[in-house]
Amino acid sequence: MLRAGNLRWIGAACLAVALAGCSRAPGHAARVFPPLPPDPLALEADDVGTYGGRFTVAQTTSPRTFNPMIATEQSSREVTNLLFAALTNMDNSTQKDYGELAKSWEGSADGLTWTWHLRRGACFSDGHPLTAADVLFSFEVVYDESLHVSTRELVMLEGRRFELSAPDSYTVVMKIPRPYPLLVDAVGAVRILPRHVLEPLYRAGQLASAYGVDTAPEKLVTSGPWKLKRFRQGEETVLEPNPWWLGVDRAGQRLPYLDELVFVIVPDQNTAALKFQAGDVDGVDNVKPEDYATYADSTRSRAQHYKLYDVGTSLTSTFLWFNLNPLNRDVDGRKKGEPVVGAVKYAWFSRREFRRAVSKAIDRDAIIRGPFFGNAVKNWSALTPGSTLWYTPNLPHDDYDPEGAKRLLAGLGLRDRNGDGVLEDAHGHDVEFNLKTNSDNNLRVAMSTLIRDDLAKVGIRVTLTSLDFNALTTNYREDFQYEAMLLGLGSAVPADPGMYQNFFRSTGQSHYWHVRQTTPDTPEERDIDHLMDEMTRTADDARRHALWVKMQERLNEPCFVVWLPSQTVKLPVRDGFGNVHPTLLTHHLLWNIDRVFVKRARR
Amino acid sequence: MRSYVLKRILQTIPLLLGLVVLTFLLLQLAPGDFLNTLAQDPQISPATLDAMRHRFGLDRPWTVQMLLYLRNVILHFDLGQSFSHHRPVADVLRPALGNTLLLAGAAACVTWGLAVPLGVWAAARARGPADRVLSVAAFVTLSVPELLSGLLLLLFAARTGWFPIGGMRSLDWEQMAWGARVWDLLRHLALPALVAGLVPLAARFRQMRGSLLDVLHLDFVTAARAKGLGEGQVLFKHALRNALNPMITLFGYTLGSLVSGSFVAEVIFSWPGLGRITVEALLAQDPYLVMGAVLLAAVVLVAGNLAADLMLVAADPRIVDA
Repeated sequence: MLRAGNLRWIGAACLAVALAGCSRAPGHAARVFPPLPPDPLALEADDVGTYGGRFTVAQTTSPRTFNPMIATEQSSREVTNLLFAALTNMDNSTQKDYGELAKSWEGSADGLTWTWHLRRGACFSDGHPLTAADVLFSFEVVYDESLHVSTRELVMLEGRRFELSAPDSYTVVMKIPRPYPLLVDAVGAVRILPRHVLEPLYRAGQLASAYGVDTAPEKLVTSGPWKLKRFRQGEETVLEPNPWWLGVDRAGQRLPYLDELVFVIVPDQNTAALKFQAGDVDGVDNVKPEDYATYADSTRSRAQHYKLYDVGTSLTSTFLWFNLNPLNRDVDGRKKGEPVVGAVKYAWFSRREFRRAVSKAIDRDAIIRGPFFGNAVKNWSALTPGSTLWYTPNLPHDDYDPEGAKRLLAGLGLRDRNGDGVLEDAHGHDVEFNLKTNSDNNLRVAMSTLIRDDLAKVGIRVTLTSLDFNALTTNYREDFQYEAMLLGLGSAVPADPGMYQNFFRSTGQSHYWHVRQTTPDTPEERDIDHLMDEMTRTADDARRHALWVKMQERLNEPCFVVWLPSQTVKLPVRDGFGNVHPTLLTHHLLWNIDRVFVKRARR
Repeated sequence: MRSYVLKRILQTIPLLLGLVVLTFLLLQLAPGDFLNTLAQDPQISPATLDAMRHRFGLDRPWTVQMLLYLRNVILHFDLGQSFSHHRPVADVLRPALGNTLLLAGAAACVTWGLAVPLGVWAAARARGPADRVLSVAAFVTLSVPELLSGLLLLLFAARTGWFPIGGMRSLDWEQMAWGARVWDLLRHLALPALVAGLVPLAARFRQMRGSLLDVLHLDFVTAARAKGLGEGQVLFKHALRNALNPMITLFGYTLGSLVSGSFVAEVIFSWPGLGRITVEALLAQDPYLVMGAVLLAAVVLVAGNLAADLMLVAADPRIVDA
């Protein structure tokens, strides 16, 4: 039975909850900053903001580590990229680099010696000065083979490391084996670690376990705009401004403006959407095209106080390809080196006319209207229209032309000899193949279905298999047990052709249709290899653009991959925040979160 | 009694060993390994991947990996290292276990707190309209999959705003007084506990009803009525006490499913428990974390069953002799 005392207690609890509900954003207490450094980093933004408030985004998994050298998966990198700065960074809106911890840099005439000038007065989050010694230490860690740092490959050329030295505390000299057009981006991938904290651990062989998620926030010394405030596995990661961060707005105020940046953990994008509607999350960085219409509803956006930003065409390209790989060992009486798909199908798949016919049979407009709900554009390259610097319009391509497809197939001797609606080759084999895609991607599954129907109209029978992504990866990387596959190529940062070497080069691991070739299979692939060689050695932008156009043409003429539409990216962000500028490059919403501020009293 | 307990504990050893072998085998049969996701990253070279595969021991035969694992578990109580979390498995599982037990405990309260009174009420009004309505309701809850009821309740929370949409705490938890924290926790706990608790509710309700109906037909109940006792006294003082015996045994057995029973609710409601960790570990193919979670669930299951048996022995000592 409830007694009067109990009732009072419940009343007090309810009052506490009500009061807590009134002040959900952190308080607006005046911040105290150390004096500005001699070389602050002035950051571009539309408006000068005010301090305070919180921005909340959703993540589908908790970060696994706060150590930027060990972080490999997205959830960790999203956070470590905010905690740790580098010499350079990319302005996502222009897709161009700027000096972050480096104030300036210059290269020698031969492009082999680069001198980096650090900003004076840069400090870690514990107030310890950040100097050239920290840069040298961070590169030493990246180069340590026992740590398997994922960015290591970016700062190696022809298997050789860069030679680094520090003539003084604010200068780093870097000698590289050959000219490297991606040097500035590569250097931006190396996050600067606090040597004074981590060197003893590194020397003791414990760097891999340092800065794990169980590190006490006050022990996690960062070089970037944010530092850790709180972490609860499976629940939330809360960041707060690093008071020593040298980023300032044009009024000379230290950034970031916000008091807190919160990552809440949700099981999937659907829950993230629900949380956004409920006001628990301020922006969603991954929306399914079928939900765009719901978000775009103006009544809804006014009632829930948000705006849907049209960010542009996704940098992820989607395509299908045919398996031209040879067996890498003897299997079931078949010899190593024979085509995996068998001689009959290899005879079709290896002909450019067949691949072009498939491409011509696909009604991409129907795909855009269907699974994408109109939110996609046709794309014919690894770098989609979303790449402001490298997108190439008017590339050779084979768009919807079913009659043209039929002519090409007839030219190969593929005809419907028995009148069953399916083409046969001269030996009576039905022209059919199996198309695999990953089952967890509804868009790809839906695209596969439409492609199957389109190909049936020109007499090609397609069966579909959707599989777990890991199984697909094994299929296209190791055992090659597939006939055709539909997948995507994610955006690299920077979105530069030099980042797609694995895809273009015949020796590449992601040269899906025939991986790791010892010598190029076709004249086109040999040409592409040469073009890529030249591209990686040339720093001249105009020359690189010309090479890039040629490379794409050589890829598209024989139709090695059948390109499919790329999605348009739209992202909703709650009203009341200033300097919000979602971009195509990741992180779509948080790349400039140090400049985002709360415009007015919210909630 | 002691030898009975010892015998039961010894019996669990081959069970757990068999479980380890089976789980290892199943993980081995799944295509790819932990490094598959890394292999997507064009920045990581095949040489680096091979070196990592060697460091994690993934290049060894699975039987060797399993024997090494068993040696570490048995000799050092070391559950190994989680590849994806870069931490010992025990450190990853420990906080999650507490959260899972909290949710599972709340779900058990929902199940038993509703099943027993409703079962008694329905049995007392057997074949009346109330009993029929409850029976139909029980079948409905039995027929609706946990996944669907969970998603519907999540939608309900989003539409009404009466409950938080998943999670275990509000963002301002740190600033709250302890009373407000308790209230906040209860609000977050309500829907997942309801979802996880509703699944076994129908079965327990039917069992309680059936058990009480059986007892109500026995002679001593008729005798009690003949003595002129009121129906309430007959029901609660005589019949219910006897009808509860099998329910106590059942309760013991549900202890065993405490850890695994709320996995679906955990995943739907972003509850930071073992369910989500296990699912993530499976998707990431993080073998030792999967093993750790499976072993933990198995140990709780075995311990729960042992507790159930002991309760049964306490209720009926003849079982030990049998």
